[in-house]
Amino acid sequence: MTQAQFVGTGSPVHRLNPVTKLVALLSILVIVFALPQWWVSAIVVVGVLLPAAVIARCGGPLIAVGGRILLPIVVVLVLVQGLTFPGGRTMVWQWGVLSVTSEGLLFALNVGARIVCLVLASVLLVLTTHPGDLMSALTEAGMSPKFSYIISSTLQLIPAFRSRADAILLAQQARGLAVPRNPLRRIGVMMPLLGPLVLGMFTDVEERGTAMEARGFGSTARRTALEAIPDSTAQRVARWVMPLVAVAAVVVPLVWEVL
Amino acid sequence: MIQLADVSYAYPDSGRFVLEHVDLRIEPGTITGVVGASGAGKTTLAKILSGFIPHVDGGQLSGSVVIGGRDLSGLPLAACVSQVGLVIQNPFNQISGARYTVRGELAFGMENLGTPRDEMANRVAEVAGLLRITDLLDRSPYELSGGQQQLVAIASMLVLRTPVLVMDEPTSQLDPAGTRMVFGVLSRLRGTGTTIVVFEHKPELLHAHADRLHVLAGRRIAASGSPGEILSDPRTDQWGVSATRYTRAARLAREQGLVPAEAPLPVSFEQAAAFFGWSARTRPPSPEDAR
Amino acid sequence: MSDQAPLDTRRSRTRLLVAAGAVIVVATYAYLVVAQPAGMADSGTTRAGLIAMAGYVIGAVLIAAGSIHQLPTTTIAMIPVAIAVNIVVGQLVAVLGLPVYLDSIGTVLVSVLAGPAAGVVTGILANVIWGLTLNPIPLPFAVVQVVIAVLAGTAARIGVFRRVYLPPVAGLVTGVAAAVVSAPISAFVFGGATGGGTGAIVGAFQAMGQSLLASTTLQGLLSDPLDKLITFTVVGILLAALPSRFLQRFPFAREHRVVTTAPLAPPPSPSE
Repeated sequence: MTQAQFVGTGSPVHRLNPVTKLVALLSILVIVFALPQWWVSAIVVVGVLLPAAVIARCGGPLIAVGGRILLPIVVVLVLVQGLTFPGGRTMVWQWGVLSVTSEGLLFALNVGARIVCLVLASVLLVLTTHPGDLMSALTEAGMSPKFSYIISSTLQLIPAFRSRADAILLAQQARGLAVPRNPLRRIGVMMPLLGPLVLGMFTDVEERGTAMEARGFGSTARRTALEAIPDSTAQRVARWVMPLVAVAAVVVPLVWEVL
Repeated sequence: MIQLADVSYAYPDSGRFVLEHVDLRIEPGTITGVVGASGAGKTTLAKILSGFIPHVDGGQLSGSVVIGGRDLSGLPLAACVSQVGLVIQNPFNQISGARYTVRGELAFGMENLGTPRDEMANRVAEVAGLLRITDLLDRSPYELSGGQQQLVAIASMLVLRTPVLVMDEPTSQLDPAGTRMVFGVLSRLRGTGTTIVVFEHKPELLHAHADRLHVLAGRRIAASGSPGEILSDPRTDQWGVSATRYTRAARLAREQGLVPAEAPLPVSFEQAAAFFGWSARTRPPSPEDAR
Repeated sequence: MSDQAPLDTRRSRTRLLVAAGAVIVVATYAYLVVAQPAGMADSGTTRAGLIAMAGYVIGAVLIAAGSIHQLPTTTIAMIPVAIAVNIVVGQLVAVLGLPVYLDSIGTVLVSVLAGPAAGVVTGILANVIWGLTLNPIPLPFAVVQVVIAVLAGTAARIGVFRRVYLPPVAGLVTGVAAAVVSAPISAFVFGGATGGGTGAIVGAFQAMGQSLLASTTLQGLLSDPLDKLITFTVVGILLAALPSRFLQRFPFAREHRVVTTAPLAPPPSPSE
C-alpha cells in the first residue's frame, strides 16, 4: 500500500499553493451538495476535475485510485437504492420478487454523482500535493505546527511500524501461532501480536519526546520556515472567489424557493 | 564550564539512589568521556547534564548542576535545552518525522526557535560540510543507515549552536561501520568550541579523541585522568570498564614475565607497538622458529 | 514559566473553541434527527447532507484546534505512534478477515492515559491521515472519533479500567453512541453506501420499511457496539500488562488512578 499517494509530475497543478487546492476542494464539496441535481456533479467532474487531472498528468492514477474506492460503493448504491428505495413507485424492471424503481435509480444517481465528485476531488488533491507542502502551507496560514508535526511524523512512521508488526507476526508464527478458523478465536490470537507492538511503543515514545524537546519543539517563539511556499496574487484572489461561489450556490436556491 | 557539586539522584518509582555525591568538573571546549559499566548511571548522568532530569523524569535531585555559570535547576526546560544539546542511543527515534528531507530535518529545530531563513540555510550548509553529509541533504532521513541517521542527529544538535553537547552512548546501537562514522566526526568537532561530553562503553575509540576521562562506578566518580592513565589503570575490571585489547594483551604478557613489570601498559596501537618492540627491523616469528 | 497571562488566555481560548465545536456538533445532530427529511425529496436529503458534513466537520475542526493547545510535548510524541497503531492494527484485522474494524485502539489508549483532549486529537488526525493515504470516505466521520475519545477518557476517569468486567460495558455504550452519531452522515452524504457490506445491510432494513436514517442507525448498531466492546477490552488487557514505570509518566493516568486504586509513586517534584 503506497503511503501518501503523491505522484510528483511537476505540473502547474502541482505547483499551486496547497491552500488554494484545499479551498477549491471544499468549495466543490459545498457546491455539489447545495445544488442537488446530478448534472451539477457531472459538470464539475467533467469540466473541472478531469481537465485538471490531464494537466497534472495524473489521469491514470486518478482513475485507478478513484475507481478502486468508488466501484463497490456505486454498485451497492445502485442495487440497494434501486431495489429498496422507500418512495419507489414506478417500476422499471421486475424479476420475481425483486423490483427496481425509477425513483430509487434517480436517488442513487444523485447521491452517486456527488460521491464520485467528492472522491475524485479528494484523490486529485492528494495526488498533486506533497504532504510536506500541504502541512507547511497550512501552518503558514495559521494551523498549529503541532498538527503538522503529528501528521508528517505519522505518515513517515507507518511503514516502519508495519514492518515491525510483520516481524512480530512472523516471530509468532515461527513459534507455532496458527490462525484458527473461528472468528472469535481469531480475535484472541491478536493479543500476542498486539502486546509486543504496543508495549514496544512506549520506550520509543519516551525517547521521541526527549528528542523533540531537545529540538525546541515546546518553544513558544514564532516559528520560521526554511522554504517558502509558492503563491500568487491570482491564487489569493481565487481563494476568496471560490468560497463566494460556494456560498452563492447555497443561498441562491434558498432565495429561489422563497420567492 | 560544567560543574556538578554533590549531586545525588533517585528515580521516582524506586527511591533507590542511582548517583550519590557526584562531583564533576569539565573545562570548556574539551572533549570529555565518561565510562562505566552498564547500569552504572551513565544515562542518568547524561539526563542530569542536559536538564531532562528533573524536568521530565522527576525524582529527587540534590546538589548543584551549573553550566556556563547558570544553575540548571532554576531554569525551565526550554532554557536548559538551549544550553545543552543531547544525542541519545537510538538513531531512529531521534528523527522527528516532521520533515521529509535531511535538509528539512536539520532546519526543524531552528524553525521551532524562530531562526531567520538565511541564518538557517547557512548553518545547515556549514554543519553538513563539517560532518561530510552534504550529499545526504536531499534524501529522506528514513532511508539512511543507522550510522548516517546518528550523524544527522548530531548535526541537528550542532546547528542549534548549544555551548555543550552531551552524547549518551551514541554508538551502542550501531554496527561497526556506523560506529566508525560517529567517532570519525568527534575529532572534527574539536574546532567548533563546543564542550562535548560522551558517555561511552567503547574505551578504545575514546582514547583517540577524548582529552579527559571520568569513571562512573559505585554511584560516584571513582577516578578521573587522561585516557591513557584511566585505561591502563589496574582497577578497570573492578569498575566494569573494559580495557583495550592492547592493554589486555600487555597485562597477559606482564603476568607471564615476557615484559618488565614496571613498563607502563599501552592503551593504543602505537603504544602497543612500542611496548612490544614491534618495528620494521624486528622480524615476526617464522614457521621454522616454532619447531 | 514567566508568562502567566498568555497561558490564561490560551486556556480560555481552548475552552471556547472546544465548547463552540461541541455546540455545533450537538446542534447539527439534533437538527438532523428532529427535522428529518420526511419525504425523500432530493433537496431535503442533500440539504441534510450538507448540514451534516458542514456541522460535523466544522465542529470537529474547532474541537481539535481547541484540544491541541494544552497538550505537552511528551503527549504529542505519543500521538503519531498511537495513530500508527490504529492504522496498522486496522489493516492487520482486515487481512486476518475478522468481522470487526479495531481501528481505534490507539485513540482509546491515548484517551485513557493522557486524557480526552489528547484522544480527540489522536482520533481526528487518524481520520485525516487515513483520508490522505488510503481512502477519503471516512473523513466526514471524524466527529465519531471525538465521541469515542471523550467517552473513553471519561470512562478512565471514573475508574472503569480498574475492574476487569467494566471496560467491555463502557465499550458497548461507546459503540452505541458512535453508531448513533455516524448514522446521519452515512445516510445523507452516502445514501447508506459507505462500503459493500454495510450498504447491503442498510438496504435490507430499508426493504423492511425503515427510513434511510433509521436503516443506517440500525446497521451501525449491529457492528459498532461489538467493535468498541472488543477495543475497550483489548485496551484494558494492555493496560494491565503495562509496567507501572510507564503509567507513572502520564499525569492524567496517575491523578485519576486509571488502572489501580492504589496511588502510584509520588508525583515528580515540580521544577519550573
